Amino acid sequence: MRKLGTVLKCLRLVAPCVLLLAAAAACSGASGADRKLLDQYCINCHNARLKTGGLSLEARDIDITAVGANAEVWERVGRKLRSGQMPPAGLPRLDQAVADAFLSRLEDSLDQAAAAAPNPGRPAVHRLNRTEYANAIRDLLALDIDGHALLPADDTDQHGFDNNSEVLSISPALLERYLSAARKVSRLALGSVKAPAIDTFEISKLLMQDDRESERLPFGSRGGAAFPYYFPVDGEYSFKIRLQKTLYNAVRGLADPNTLEVRLDRERIKTFTVGGAKVNPPPASFAGTISWNPEWEKYATQADAGMEFRIKVKAGTRTIGVSFVKQSWEPEDVQQPRRSGWGYETDEMYDGSPGVESVTIEGPLAAAGAGDTASRRKIFVCQPEKAERERGCAKTILTTLAHRAYRRPATAADVETLLGFYDLGRADGGFEAGIEMALQRVLVSPDFLFRIELDKDNEVPGKAYPLTDLELASRLSFFLWSSIPDDELLAAAERGALRKPGELERQVKRMLRDPRSRALVDNFAAQWLQLRDIRSAIPDPDLFPEFDENLREAFRRETELFLQAQFSEDRSVTELLTANYTFVNERLARHYGIPNVYGSRFRRVALNNPEQRGGLLGQGSILTLTSYPNRTSPVLRGKWLLENILGTPPPPPPPNVPALRDKGPEGQRQSVRERLQEHRKNPACSGCHAQMDPLGFALENFDAIGTWRTADESGSPIDASGSLTGAADFQGLAGLRTLLLSRREQFVSTVAERLLSFALGRSVEYYDRPALRKILRDAKTSDDRWSALILEIVQSLPFQMRKAES
Amino acid sequence: MIIAKRALPRRTILRGIGTTLALPLLDAMVPALTAAAQTAAKPVRRLGVVYIPNGMVMQKWTPSSDGVGFEMPETLKPLEPFRSKMLVLSGLNNTPPPLDSGAGVHARASTRFLTAVPPKRSDTSAVEAAISIDQLAARMLGSETQLASLEVAIEGRDLAGSCDIGFSCAYTNTISWRGPTTPLPMENDPRAVFERLFGGSESTDRAARLARLQANRSILDSVSSRIGDFQRRIGSRDRAKLAEYLDAVRDIERRIQNAEQQSARELPVVEQPPGIPASFEAHARLMFDLQLLAYQTDLTRVITFMMGRELSGRTFPQIGVVESHHATSHHQNDPVKLANLQKIKAHHAELFAYYVEKLNATPDGDGSLLDHMMILFGAGMSDSNAHSGNNLPVTIVGGGSGSIRGGRHLKYPPGTPMGNLLLAMLDKLGVPGVERIGDSTRRLEHLSDI
Repeated sequence: MRKLGTVLKCLRLVAPCVLLLAAAAACSGASGADRKLLDQYCINCHNARLKTGGLSLEARDIDITAVGANAEVWERVGRKLRSGQMPPAGLPRLDQAVADAFLSRLEDSLDQAAAAAPNPGRPAVHRLNRTEYANAIRDLLALDIDGHALLPADDTDQHGFDNNSEVLSISPALLERYLSAARKVSRLALGSVKAPAIDTFEISKLLMQDDRESERLPFGSRGGAAFPYYFPVDGEYSFKIRLQKTLYNAVRGLADPNTLEVRLDRERIKTFTVGGAKVNPPPASFAGTISWNPEWEKYATQADAGMEFRIKVKAGTRTIGVSFVKQSWEPEDVQQPRRSGWGYETDEMYDGSPGVESVTIEGPLAAAGAGDTASRRKIFVCQPEKAERERGCAKTILTTLAHRAYRRPATAADVETLLGFYDLGRADGGFEAGIEMALQRVLVSPDFLFRIELDKDNEVPGKAYPLTDLELASRLSFFLWSSIPDDELLAAAERGALRKPGELERQVKRMLRDPRSRALVDNFAAQWLQLRDIRSAIPDPDLFPEFDENLREAFRRETELFLQAQFSEDRSVTELLTANYTFVNERLARHYGIPNVYGSRFRRVALNNPEQRGGLLGQGSILTLTSYPNRTSPVLRGKWLLENILGTPPPPPPPNVPALRDKGPEGQRQSVRERLQEHRKNPACSGCHAQMDPLGFALENFDAIGTWRTADESGSPIDASGSLTGAADFQGLAGLRTLLLSRREQFVSTVAERLLSFALGRSVEYYDRPALRKILRDAKTSDDRWSALILEIVQSLPFQMRKAES
Repeated sequence: MIIAKRALPRRTILRGIGTTLALPLLDAMVPALTAAAQTAAKPVRRLGVVYIPNGMVMQKWTPSSDGVGFEMPETLKPLEPFRSKMLVLSGLNNTPPPLDSGAGVHARASTRFLTAVPPKRSDTSAVEAAISIDQLAARMLGSETQLASLEVAIEGRDLAGSCDIGFSCAYTNTISWRGPTTPLPMENDPRAVFERLFGGSESTDRAARLARLQANRSILDSVSSRIGDFQRRIGSRDRAKLAEYLDAVRDIERRIQNAEQQSARELPVVEQPPGIPASFEAHARLMFDLQLLAYQTDLTRVITFMMGRELSGRTFPQIGVVESHHATSHHQNDPVKLANLQKIKAHHAELFAYYVEKLNATPDGDGSLLDHMMILFGAGMSDSNAHSGNNLPVTIVGGGSGSIRGGRHLKYPPGTPMGNLLLAMLDKLGVPGVERIGDSTRRLEHLSDI
């Protein structure tokens, strides 16, 4: 301990040593010990001859007293040591206190070196991705568009983020899509649409329509859906409703009359009655593979044929609601098991309830003018009364648009260019056509499509310099909103007030309160946790007949509401793991075994059994997306935890790995745990799987769709115990949670690193580590609350500054 | 979609229920755009596949006599005018010995049609078949066109769910496979097909296209000069990035230039269809028109088209069949049901004949588009009541650029693998290096000779 004391004392003197590269006598003790430690634990593998992992730590190759000169290597060494990945299992391990002391000396030296020569990095020119483009259109033109329909998906980086400027490329095909998107968006925004479009909204046939399906549908309704639709102009539109059918086209649930209501912005505009005709129906569970009587066939296949009508609609976004009036009785009979798979596809289920399959809207059929839409109000900040005032008004309109779209004051040259396009369109089709043409030009401008941070004149090459307030404002809004700055943020930046004391903090807090900050859940958290994968999970319907679209949607919604609560209530990031509450509706509560929850509305519930639920790791979404369709996978779950929670992703498996055997050597059924024994026996596997599998085993009490269970697929009782080298054995969800919390710093650091990467729109590099450590140190004093982490990131060197080209 | 003949505009309006849709009338006298590039020595080759689901009424399909001068059977009557450009093939089987189990019979019909391998049960393993011949052909024929291939259908694109006991909907909803585990979704929305073919243009009308091209060109011109402003004030890596953008701009400008030159040549005037027409007939004709247009403009040379998915339960009240297609296909040899099924099959063949007629009337090089095409038209099942894969109802329509000698009914020994035909077709299309398709044994003979 005395030696450690000396070391610590010496630490304050390390910085000048490092900087001056002078081996001051006072420091030789510490650096001598560090060298000894490397020689003792590392260079057996990491020597000049073997160069394991491409690295030699021998004294003749690398100088421990001058870490700043090899920061990239030393950051890597520090991370491997901190996460316990090195020395590897089976080799002598460092005493924790010794390792900690070494690490704190190493990191202090690295921080000092970085402080003397700060490197904030140079994010590449950043193209707006599909989400940012759609959000920018929403904020610029008050127009909700479906980005998926207009633009192709963006590539993602190694952590699944689609806002990484390094991977956001541009191709001729993409530029063509931008050109065509610009034309469509301009036309929608101005309401100059003439040709009718046909849009169909489909409801998945696996969505059980037995409850009120949306908050936007009336109480006492059953099934159907409510969705927003943008009517581009005032005019007539036709609506066509199709009901759920079997694979053979028979409408389901025709035994009794049911009333279907269609609503526009909650007002009922049409009702239909379906079912209850006196036709001789087929027997129950008739599968329609051969024909029944023609009268029935005609009735069953044509029952929804007349569900069409035309109506006048005012332009703008309206909510369409389609639902049945709920019948308040239950059929008297033995309750039948839920049908799934083939049976569900074919059985006519004559005595069930009908459901809505799709709603088709076509129009405008008779356009009656552009109407008064939010988009037009946003664009037409002036209206020319006389022809000679048109160009002046156009100039005002285009200056305002360019200002918002380009995230900076519009220059005379900008406006001149746009007026050129205005003139072009004006000559062809009048004032509004001119504005539309100029708007098209705005939307493919590099000033809009790209975030470009221009180099400053007279900066010293390679030196860090602060961003302008305008650049900072854009970084802020794309971080917190995945969109362009609003007028208030832009104004503050233009006044040069953004860096005034307290102002940045005020803006961040204001922006986090704004509904647009949902982008942090939808884009940051959903991509970090791979939540988008829940959309494509297909649990085997024969093994999990209870998995339907309602459950999938409930999983998605639960995690979304949970994450939203974390941000809006400004919780500590550790609450992602420890929360003793979650959000459920009746369907999900039943799935989780939570009593007394009724109805389709989601609400917060307290969880009182931390063994079974609590935090992200007990949520159906995560548990399902880390499973195979027919069974759980401790490997996938372990890998997910290593990657996303502990930040130590395992390397990819070696090539030519054979599949695990289904049966034991004597042909007996084996549990997943038994089958995975192979991973421990084979040294080619065990290196990584010894870290991965045990974490997953702890979650074995949850089946492939997150249901609590005590026996596995093979019928054996669940063994949810796990053990890792260098950690106490753990058991089940609660044990796993304790284990992860014992590595709290590693977890928080993983979150912070991903958040920083998302904030910067680039990968986090070794030179960001000192800034990351500062972020973590400072956020810790606020209990690692989200706002603290976000604010520290916003104030960090890589967010505030930029390196000049060297 | 509104298609008007330039000299004599015809426009027929179809009154849907509550909707107005224009019935397409393609001006087929406009020559295909490949004409200049092709010579008799190096003809352009094209492949089409048109698939009918749920089998066939074989009594009304198989000609009663063989060889040249065969008697045209009832179902194929609408194709009589093109007799000299078609081959009816009998005796081909798609049932590998030993007979596989009864499950997944419909999945087998559609999956084997162009792959000659059976589908794997998807409840116990992943979806798997083999690359289909259209995709093998697209690897070569697609190298010169904007789209390597086009996959279109009348019914939905959903590849999830279970559509045949234990078999994924992927098997019954597509016939095209890019690879053993990559079933290709088939697009059924004409608006989306049009957009794939013609990008953002809402019309093929020359004036409209030119106006759009010119607008795009001036936007791009002004954008490139703006990029120039940036280039001086950003780092080298960013310059490379913006150069990427600039390259994209120039690439499109080049394409615009080509398109402007091309637009001097007449194209049928086609407006972008608003969506899926309400009636089956209008939808089918529109999809055929788009295929014709794609060949005519040489945007692709390989198209597969499913007139319905296997197991389809569509009803056809407009021709007096109120029972579903699939239920009717299990006719149990009841004469009334058989007559109904035959109505459905004949209806499909009539719609197909509409397409063949257009292809035949479209000049292409020294002949017509039909002369330079090979269309595999038929079904993956013969007697639907028995789910039979024996003696499949298949025809080859088109001259195959001289590689097909039509006007005949060829009867092969019973049990000849369908794969042999697929192999021979690739051969005639000039696709080299394929020696085997599924369970094929050799190339089917006599397609070119007597």
